[in-house]
Amino acid sequence: MVVRVEDIHVSYGPAVVLRGVSLEARVGEAVAVIGPNGAGKTTLLRTMIGMTRPTRGCILYDGKVRNGLRAFETARLGIIYVPAEKELFPGMTVLENLELGSYCNVEDAPGRLGYVFDLFPRLGERRQQLAGTLSGGEQQMVAIGRALMGGPKVLLLDEPSTGLAPKMVAELYQQLAKLKSTGLTLIVAEQQVPLVLSLTDRAYVLEQGAIRLSGKSADIQGNPEIKVAYLG
Amino acid sequence: MTATLFDGIVQGLQLSLLAVGITLIFGLGGVLNLAHGQFAVIGGVAAKLLLNWGVHPVLAGIGGIIAAGLFGLLVDRSLLVPAYRYRGEERLLLGLILTLGLSFVIDGYLNYALPEFSLMLSLPIPAVQVATIPMRTAGLATSLIAMMVFLALFLFLRRTLLGKTIRSIIENEIGAELCGIDPSRTRTIIVGLAAMMAGLAGIAQGLFSSLGTEMGPEFTILGLLVAVVGGVRSINGTLVAGVFLGIINAFASRYVGAYVAFIILLSVAMVTILLRPTGLLARFT
Repeated sequence: MVVRVEDIHVSYGPAVVLRGVSLEARVGEAVAVIGPNGAGKTTLLRTMIGMTRPTRGCILYDGKVRNGLRAFETARLGIIYVPAEKELFPGMTVLENLELGSYCNVEDAPGRLGYVFDLFPRLGERRQQLAGTLSGGEQQMVAIGRALMGGPKVLLLDEPSTGLAPKMVAELYQQLAKLKSTGLTLIVAEQQVPLVLSLTDRAYVLEQGAIRLSGKSADIQGNPEIKVAYLG
Repeated sequence: MTATLFDGIVQGLQLSLLAVGITLIFGLGGVLNLAHGQFAVIGGVAAKLLLNWGVHPVLAGIGGIIAAGLFGLLVDRSLLVPAYRYRGEERLLLGLILTLGLSFVIDGYLNYALPEFSLMLSLPIPAVQVATIPMRTAGLATSLIAMMVFLALFLFLRRTLLGKTIRSIIENEIGAELCGIDPSRTRTIIVGLAAMMAGLAGIAQGLFSSLGTEMGPEFTILGLLVAVVGGVRSINGTLVAGVFLGIINAFASRYVGAYVAFIILLSVAMVTILLRPTGLLARFT
């Protein structure tokens, strides 16, 4: 599945959040969206899956314009979003959270469950624990695990490292690299710029609702301006 | 004393039937249904009409429950559609106004169309002795039915995928959508189910004493009290709260009178809200 947005404009009331953003993620590609707080990264991801409506511009899946789909419909197409807030079901067990992730293809659930527990063994140990009682890192694993249960073609991750201890962040990125190696398309919005640039193939730098720079992640990492602004 | 306790439990289970519906519709749809008591009355009215046509009482009861359910579906797919366009507080407020208006329309129409209405069902054997305590079979039967409904509901929510889907939407609607769950479809199912439980509560009222067309608002208020005391997102809490308030109501009605009983119930609700704002059995406080 190729996900592409063209000339996306989004406003919340009088506040303009995105002004003409275009972005593409090809099959099997990992794409980073970086930029300061409030640049519009979250809004961009939300628009791509139909949680936020653009005032102008096109959302295309495999070259077809699919504006106006709702979040549950894009999830059913295999474009699955893991928000920074995780949006888990806190009063349900880890296992139930994961089961609900495969709501749309129950047949494949047992195999996927094994895959998720291989990827995050800790979830297997805590399968009967309520999701609301887990640590931040474990909750992030449940959120990603739940998304994987849906058999995604494209995975959109918003700030996966937020609120995690440095050791957990490193561990998480190892697992994301594993996912990438399986050919899964990844779109990752992230503040941890060096980490996300080393994971991804290409990157977009978003500033004040517009793409300021885009290109190969390695080139962006070497860009002197980016070095000053984000890499310190 | 024991008879009062028994009456209280029976009435409490009936209140729980109403309140669970209010809890489910609120948890799932974000709408506090102020016409819920009227759903119960509609169930009773439909059962009575079927009885008048010569339908067997059991079938008439089932017919009344189905009629209430269908009415619930109709309300969900028509009147509540504008409310569902919004989220959070706006949806809650719009839902309050729409369902309040609906309750007035139903009350007005039924009082006008059926001024003499009363549903009274009687069982062939009026009372039985259980361990030297005389018990009315109507009370036993309604309690048994209510408990079976709750057991079925509990198993449905815990064990089935649709049940888990419903719980997931109550827990986090956005999270559910991200899993590919269409909240509006599930919501319609649950409003129908909640209306059926209300219809059953209305018919149970006819079995236990008598049901009149004017009882809708009282049912709604009692149901809301139970739902609030139980925690408006907790189904187990609602069950416990229904029986708890039912017992208090039975004793208060018997010893200090029905009007004061209402004040006592409201006070209990107030104290509960002050001490445990998220309900009796709330998990997260």
